[in-house]
Amino acid sequence: MYRYDEFDAALVRERVEEFRDQVERRVSGALTEDEFKPLRLMNGVYLQLHAYMLRVAVPYGVMNGPQMRRLAYIARTYDKGYGHFTTRTNIQFNWPALSDLPAILEDLAEVEMHAIQTSGNCIRNVTTDVFAGATDDEIEDPRPWCEILRQWSTIHPEFSFLPRKFKVAVIGAEKDRAAIRTHDVGLRIVRGADGETAFQVFVGGGQGRLPHLGQEIATAVPGSEILAYLTAILRAYNLLGRRDNIHKARIKILVASLGIEAFREEVERQFATLRQEDLRIPDAEMDRIRAYFAPPTFADLPKTSGAFDRAVLADADFARFSRNNIRRHRQAGYASVVISLKPVDGVPGDITAAQMETVADLAERFSFDEVRAAYEQNLVLPHVRLDDTPALWRALREAGLATANADLVTDIIACPGLDYCSLANARSIPVAQDLSRRLADLAWQEKVGPVRINMSGCINACGHHHVGHIGVLGVDRKGEEYYQITVGGSPDEQAALGEIVGRSLPADEVAPAIQRALDRYLVIRTEGERFIDTVRRVGADPFRQAIYETLDAAA
Amino acid sequence: MRIVTANRLSDGRVIYLGEDDRPVESVAEAAVFEAAEAETAQARAAARPEVFVNPYLVEVTGHAFSGRDRLKESIRAAGPTVGNSLSTDTGAAV
Repeated sequence: MYRYDEFDAALVRERVEEFRDQVERRVSGALTEDEFKPLRLMNGVYLQLHAYMLRVAVPYGVMNGPQMRRLAYIARTYDKGYGHFTTRTNIQFNWPALSDLPAILEDLAEVEMHAIQTSGNCIRNVTTDVFAGATDDEIEDPRPWCEILRQWSTIHPEFSFLPRKFKVAVIGAEKDRAAIRTHDVGLRIVRGADGETAFQVFVGGGQGRLPHLGQEIATAVPGSEILAYLTAILRAYNLLGRRDNIHKARIKILVASLGIEAFREEVERQFATLRQEDLRIPDAEMDRIRAYFAPPTFADLPKTSGAFDRAVLADADFARFSRNNIRRHRQAGYASVVISLKPVDGVPGDITAAQMETVADLAERFSFDEVRAAYEQNLVLPHVRLDDTPALWRALREAGLATANADLVTDIIACPGLDYCSLANARSIPVAQDLSRRLADLAWQEKVGPVRINMSGCINACGHHHVGHIGVLGVDRKGEEYYQITVGGSPDEQAALGEIVGRSLPADEVAPAIQRALDRYLVIRTEGERFIDTVRRVGADPFRQAIYETLDAAA
Repeated sequence: MRIVTANRLSDGRVIYLGEDDRPVESVAEAAVFEAAEAETAQARAAARPEVFVNPYLVEVTGHAFSGRDRLKESIRAAGPTVGNSLSTDTGAAV
């Protein structure tokens, strides 16, 4: 993983001191709230429903044990003993006091973490495949490129005041595990004509009030020129993006209104002026960054593990965990392990300080001191010996972190909703908990197979409801919470936006309705067909009927 | 009838304008204003930015929230409805 150099360290330290001064001036009255708000947002500090909220950046989702332990310390010392992982692979603290925030940022800086650019109209934390560098279907590890983008975009003078926030995701495999087409820019590593690293580039994706999937703007931009190409995109957006209407300010609106061809022409025009200049990434610099992401020193192991096989046979719970939460690894004898933050009745993405410390210990003991945040609001230990997975599972189980539901129906992605967020119209968490309790039977969940349920408490779509196989959107109807259901969305390489199935439902009807839709799927699916495949084959109508059948009969 | 609510500068917690313009934490202690005087009360809170952040008016009947945002205001007043993965000192039901 990347380690700060002296420039990174100095920048973050200076930023902490700058913010300390800003907080002091706000408290003394030298700064008004209007003056202070953009300054706190630049440091990831929001003022939410009940308290300040601090969003800590986790660049491309990668952390080590000391960082995780420091997050636990912050949760325990300055908050209520827990943190919340988000779909941006960041972590949020919900209850810090304003006066504690400089100290928290100082604590973070000591372990090479910060909250810069986790808010505001700038280039946000770059996200990637949670299995980057560990999966066996990868052309190339995308994390060095994410790090290059992090260094390029951090406090970029030209792109710190964009029309709106700007999100970038990078993947290195055909399989899209980072939802790149829901981002302002999505990058997929491909092989260029000369066999060198290149990028397929998608632009103009985004969810929210007017969802769009990113469109391909370039098929193979050479790696050495990707910063120039991204600069060209950002420059076109910065120049042409709307600033008069916040709802129409994202690049997705610009691309949709101009059309991808016209936008591409503008980008090419900008690119022509940039590609020969100093935005070319020197090979030596690329090699230097890549070295930080060199694979750990794996042992030379057989493909299979007797200890693993015996544990699978001996313990049905471990067998289930292995089926659902253990992923194949590129290195023989190793696996990646998903730590679900979705226990029955839990708050999706929440993790206690004690659990963070456990994860830190386990990362150090079993996974080369590395832990990843997944955009599904889970954690991953990327490099675990198969031999060690039974012991790891037992430790996770003791910590309440061994729920064997990764990618199953209770692996629900949900925003904090109206319980915490000042923008929300309706609660998300209680509906997710209701679903989690109703669908808790893991044997039934396995029978249903992989289904992604996404839930947002408002149209801003922080819970990515548009691309859930089943999406749930909270809406306000004359002061009452209702929930609109979509079917058929998908965040992956076959990205799609879900179709609204009908009128919105009251909260207590959501879980039963979704259960009926899943029951209908079990009836109409063909052999081996996943839920999303069935939706693609038969359309939304059968699910619409299932969702409303009892309600219509009662009406 | 209306009350004035805001977030407290020091910790962001929900507060209300109480009698004698004191900041109070409980909606039950909030001063209730007729429409005509509510805006001037809001202005008095806004004039104390070292305590009241973004003060605004909320409709009430007695001390019960009655406007369109009554759910949101109820959650603001009582805390998250769901607790979290462990302890919280709020968590009252709405």
